[in-house]
Amino acid sequence: MLRARRFAALALLALVLPLASEGADLDKTLRVTFPTAETGFDPVKVSDVYSGQVIDAIFDPLLTYDYLARPARLVPNVAETLPLVADDGRTYTLKIRQGIYFAADPVFKGVKRELTAGDYAYSIKRFLDPRNRSPYAFLFEGKIVGLDELAAQAKKTRRFDYDAKAAGLEVPDRYTLRIRLRRPDFNFSHMLAFPLVGAVAREAIEAYGDDTNSHPVGTGPYLLKRYARSSKIVLEANPDYRGKIWDFAPGDDPLDVEIAARMKGRKLPAIGTVEISVMDETQSRWLAFQRAETDIEYQLVEVAPTFMTEDGRLRPEFERRGIRLDRSVDPEITYTFFNMQEKIGDQPNPLAGFSKERIALRRAIAMAYKIDDQIRIIRKGQAMRAQFPIPPGVAGHDPRYRSSIPYDPQLANALLDKFQYKRGPDGYRMLPGGKPLVIRYWSMPTERDRQFDELFKRSLDSIGVRLEIHKDRFAELNKLGHECRLMMRAAAWIADYPDGDNFMQLLYGPNTGQTNSACYRSPEFDRLYENSRSMPDSAERNRLYRQMARLMEVHTVWILADSRYRNVLLQPHVVGYRKHPVLFSEWLYIDLDPGSRK
Amino acid sequence: MPAYAVRRLWQFFPTLLGVVLLVFALFNWVGGDPAYLLAGKISNPEQIENIRRQLGVDQPYAVQLWIFVKQIAGADFGASWATNEKVSEIIATRLGPSLTVLVPLLVISTILAMAAAMLVTYLRGSLTDRAIMIGCTVGQSVSILVYIIVAQYVLAYQFGWFPVQGWGNNLAENLLRYSALPVIVGVIVSLAPDIRLYRSFFLEEINQDYVRTARSKGLSETRVMWVHVLRNAAIPIVTNVMIQLPGMLVGAFLIERFFSIPGIGREVILAVERSDFPVLKAVTIYVAIVTMIVNLAADLLYKAIDPRVELE
Repeated sequence: MLRARRFAALALLALVLPLASEGADLDKTLRVTFPTAETGFDPVKVSDVYSGQVIDAIFDPLLTYDYLARPARLVPNVAETLPLVADDGRTYTLKIRQGIYFAADPVFKGVKRELTAGDYAYSIKRFLDPRNRSPYAFLFEGKIVGLDELAAQAKKTRRFDYDAKAAGLEVPDRYTLRIRLRRPDFNFSHMLAFPLVGAVAREAIEAYGDDTNSHPVGTGPYLLKRYARSSKIVLEANPDYRGKIWDFAPGDDPLDVEIAARMKGRKLPAIGTVEISVMDETQSRWLAFQRAETDIEYQLVEVAPTFMTEDGRLRPEFERRGIRLDRSVDPEITYTFFNMQEKIGDQPNPLAGFSKERIALRRAIAMAYKIDDQIRIIRKGQAMRAQFPIPPGVAGHDPRYRSSIPYDPQLANALLDKFQYKRGPDGYRMLPGGKPLVIRYWSMPTERDRQFDELFKRSLDSIGVRLEIHKDRFAELNKLGHECRLMMRAAAWIADYPDGDNFMQLLYGPNTGQTNSACYRSPEFDRLYENSRSMPDSAERNRLYRQMARLMEVHTVWILADSRYRNVLLQPHVVGYRKHPVLFSEWLYIDLDPGSRK
Repeated sequence: MPAYAVRRLWQFFPTLLGVVLLVFALFNWVGGDPAYLLAGKISNPEQIENIRRQLGVDQPYAVQLWIFVKQIAGADFGASWATNEKVSEIIATRLGPSLTVLVPLLVISTILAMAAAMLVTYLRGSLTDRAIMIGCTVGQSVSILVYIIVAQYVLAYQFGWFPVQGWGNNLAENLLRYSALPVIVGVIVSLAPDIRLYRSFFLEEINQDYVRTARSKGLSETRVMWVHVLRNAAIPIVTNVMIQLPGMLVGAFLIERFFSIPGIGREVILAVERSDFPVLKAVTIYVAIVTMIVNLAADLLYKAIDPRVELE
């Protein structure tokens, strides 16, 4: 029996070792760009997408997403299987695969360091350590039994006791992690698949102290080879990586079928080096791509009409050169919120409340807003009209749903007339009591926001509503938003995880002062939302989401605007690329085929 | 001269105090609350308060000012709020790339501008003089952005003479390969105003009595221009060059952004975007100090160039 087990273990080792050593071709270098500098690579300390891309390549979360499945589907990563969910969504148990090692690093003093369940318990605790002031603390805050108490204690003592046990973070054995939640949550698996929830080694974090942002040590497919901050990041395939085989089932999309046929069976990572250059200016990135100095260009909105036709296809001259376009809709929505609080500071808010005339005013503004102009002029055609608060690619999205608020300035004018918003001698409308009506709209002092200002001004002028534009910086607008002091402002939300809950929580009353910038408090909406939270992704939950969306429209809390397209340009030799809606980087799943170079 | 230098050095302190107060007031009352930037997408008041406490922005203004003064005295501005990188390290690592571009740019543009200004002064009133002056006026009225975009598109992209952008690992590669086009653009941009300015300096000198005397003694025009006129026009030229030196500390942000040069100008823009006050405060204070030092150096240089100058 023992001999049979040894034989099995050796056979397994023989299978795994070649994967780790033979997968990546160090002669293959993928050259990509970031339009904005990264901030660092400590998973708990950053929130920008560019740092996230590198972290995604270096660290391993417990779960991940199927590369091709849409909407995004969870699959095990270092966990042996998807979590065992028990106790009505309160307990999650995961078994970690044995024999996964951290990349070699001087902190390990030459000894191979195996990944354990304890590393994940430690990594999750780090999100709530006040010293780390993690922007993603919300992923675990208020969720795991005993964890918030540790964080509260750390605030008092100024030191997080990582050795103290949190009742809801158990490590019954070296490879088992059991998480107990305060209340049922069927979405918690998404937190465990979030690219920033990868395992760090405690000894590496402690050894690098305040400089963990530039010393990432993970178990993922790549390691940081060279790093010139804000300029150049070079990743190299991790020789200690366990390796993967490209094996994803394509759906109906012919491109997916073609990719699967070409990539199936390839050892991953296939690319030996990823070289990232920070290029701030669009012109530089565009020219560098055209001169084949880069292989993938992620977002060139400003010059999109140069390489794309109006119907969203690549122009023939680029097609002839073998360049390809991967076009997808970002899992995001953009919207403009109305402040629902009766007073803003000590001033009455003409947009507030649930009375018919207030709803009529908000509805009229929403009906007058030229969303098509926003898409055509500001987005340069690179966005699609959002009908539902949950965008495509996210669980809960309903592609058949249509907003009940059309663009109809004529009807908007009639609505305002009906509710006694009479025009004054200057042509602008007044409040039903005859007092002046002024809508204060907030935006940033940027060129893009100036375009929004003009569009809103034109839209509201068409119904005789006076708009006053106020400017402030991003941080100050965030602060005012938290304090419910913005009457009206455009906003955007991109999925942290591909579940409708991440979007519907934006309207949940208790989230006022956090993400609910409209400060919308509807007992009916809150009840529906609370019900939806206790359900897994299902038809029943989708029904609740539709009711919530309709209720939001009835109250007209937002002007739901658009979801932007992501146009990724690929050189001819890049194979296997599909933009994933949630994963930050796809470098693990693609390859470079020198034969396709032109 | 040493007494003068010591006296001027003492004057640094009240000037620096003024700068410190101004910077402190600006960042605290106009700068906004950085906690709301660092808190991420979803945050509650407790997290905001925790961040403010860690950054020290919840302290009374007097305490914050004292900390700022201590930072300046110790030349330690702490770490970037956005990246946690030490501010001293940011300045040390970004200054090199900026200087790699700006030093050759300043040297080449100064030499070329002086030579061209002398030529047009010598040919004053001629067609060449007028053509160059018209060219300078037109050149000066075009934004640097246009020069960068056109040069990058035509010389780098179309002709392929230079890399479109980039930065390497060693000085030679950076100086000869990656800095070449940024330096050319910078020189073209600064030539027009410099030629006009230096021409006026030379014109002022060329009508002086000592020039007529030199000519009447039979000195060659070359000697008159290169020795007598140049020496006397050098003082305002030195002033102009010295004025530009502190600017090297903040880099040439547009050139650095377009050509992806990891210099300090680009870092300053990033810091502004991120409300990264430790970086901005450090750069502002260092620029103020360098400006004061350069001003003193310029005064001392005047004396070296022209012994008739009295330093009082």
